[in-house]
This record gives sequence, structure tokens and C-alpha cells, in this order.
Amino acid sequence: MSARQPRFNQHLLIDTTPLPDSIPKVQEVGSSSAPLLSASYFIGARCKAYNDDYMQCKTEANGKGEMDCLREGRKVTRCAGSVLEDVNKSCLEEFRKHWECLDNNNQQLWQCRKWERPLNSCVFEKLNLEKKIPGAPENETPVHLRKRQIFAHSIMTQ
Amino acid sequence: MPQDMPPSGGYEPVQYRRNLPVRGFRPAYYLAAVGLIMTYGFYRYGQGIREQNELAREKMWSRIYLIPLLQAEEDRDLVRKTLAGRAMEKELLGAETKVYNSDRFVRPTYAVTPANVTK
Repeated sequence: MSARQPRFNQHLLIDTTPLPDSIPKVQEVGSSSAPLLSASYFIGARCKAYNDDYMQCKTEANGKGEMDCLREGRKVTRCAGSVLEDVNKSCLEEFRKHWECLDNNNQQLWQCRKWERPLNSCVFEKLNLEKKIPGAPENETPVHLRKRQIFAHSIMTQ
Repeated sequence: MPQDMPPSGGYEPVQYRRNLPVRGFRPAYYLAAVGLIMTYGFYRYGQGIREQNELAREKMWSRIYLIPLLQAEEDRDLVRKTLAGRAMEKELLGAETKVYNSDRFVRPTYAVTPANVTK
């Protein structure tokens, strides 16, 4: 995408023409930022292969990625949609508490560890998806597993 | 007759010599205390910086994992708009005009806005 989106300042114009029928339809993930952030590591754990395929396709497509990589894009959307659906089915309460906390805290993950721990354990038991931070130094505990979060506002939410 | 006389036995002796005792620890001890407090402060500061780096790493990775999903959604939207524009062009003008000489997708500079807006 080389140039920026057109910015119409007088009114909001929405082109409602749908995709042509030759392109298969896919159920869009209509999620807002907090649930997506909360589930991002689980999406990464389950959908790594599809994500890598899509990004490779985009890099190799050399400018025509939007048209040529629609198939990989559909796979990515389906996989992420399946993760969100599974999390909603098995761990709805923990998931909801966590992303509501994120919404109240400027999407800062370190303020909401108290609700992240039960979510992580529930998802690990039921869906076998683990949150791992690649590239973290090996000799210390990862920051999402630490007992004390230095920058959290209150000790109640740690 | 009673007179204002000094008390019997006289007054106590007046202190006229100076009394300025040297107080305080040795300066080396003070420097050592300052050094210790500063070292502790820098150590805690470094801990905070390291934790902030780890938090930044966590934030970056969560965004990295979400990029393909969001990009695919945006791509589908873009393709939809392009195809709708091409169809509109074909309907209104009869043929498709190629602006550039290659097949690469370039976001068009001008966007067509309809005369009567329904939405």
C-alpha cells in the first residue's frame, strides 16, 4: 500500500459493493482491540504456520500481494477466528475479565496479570495453547510469569 | 529594710570560653553512605529498565502475532474496493484504462465519489 487512505473531511462515504462471488467468503473476525490483544499469544501459538505463509506470500508477491495472497489471508482469518471461538467456548469468564481489565488500563498487559494467570492456565488445560515470548533471555522468568510487576499501579491487580 | 541583693552564695560562673564541639562522622563514612544509596538507586533503576524492555518485547510480539490477521482483513477490503471501482469504470466508461505500465497494484490517486450518496 503505497499511498495513504483518502480522507474525506466533509462526510463519511462507504462503498457498500460486496466482494464478487468468484472470491470465497470468509467469516470476518469482528473483534475489538482488547479481546484481540488478550488472545494474541494464543493466536500466535496456533496459527504460526498460516501467519508465516501469509507473510512470506506478501513479501514475495512484490506489490501484487493484495490480489495474490487472498487465499493465505482467508486461512489466517479462519485460524484466528477458530482460536477466538474456542476461547469463548471454554474460558469465557476469564477471557472476559482479562480483556475488560485491558480496556480499563490502556491495553497495558502488565496491569492485568491477576486476570491473565487464570486465563493462561485455563487455555493451557483446555486448548493446549501456551503463551511464550520468543527472544526473552533464558536465565530469567518471563515477565508474564513474574510474581511482582514493578510498573503496575496497584498491588491488587498484580 | 529589704534591698534587691544578689542571691546568697552568689551567681554561678558565667561561661565565657567557647564551646563548639566537632560533630559528625568521618567524611569518608558520609561518602560511603552516599555511594551505597546511589548504587542501590541505580540498581533499582536498571531493574526497572530491564523490566520495561521485557514488557516492550511482550507488546511487540503480541502485535506481531496480530499483523497477518489485520492485514488480511484490510487486503480483502482493498480488493473489494478495487474490483468495485473497476466494475464501475467498466459500466460507466466501457473499458478499463491502465494508468501504469506494470501489473503491480498502485493505490489510485483519485477516488471516485458518487453524485448521490445513499450511505
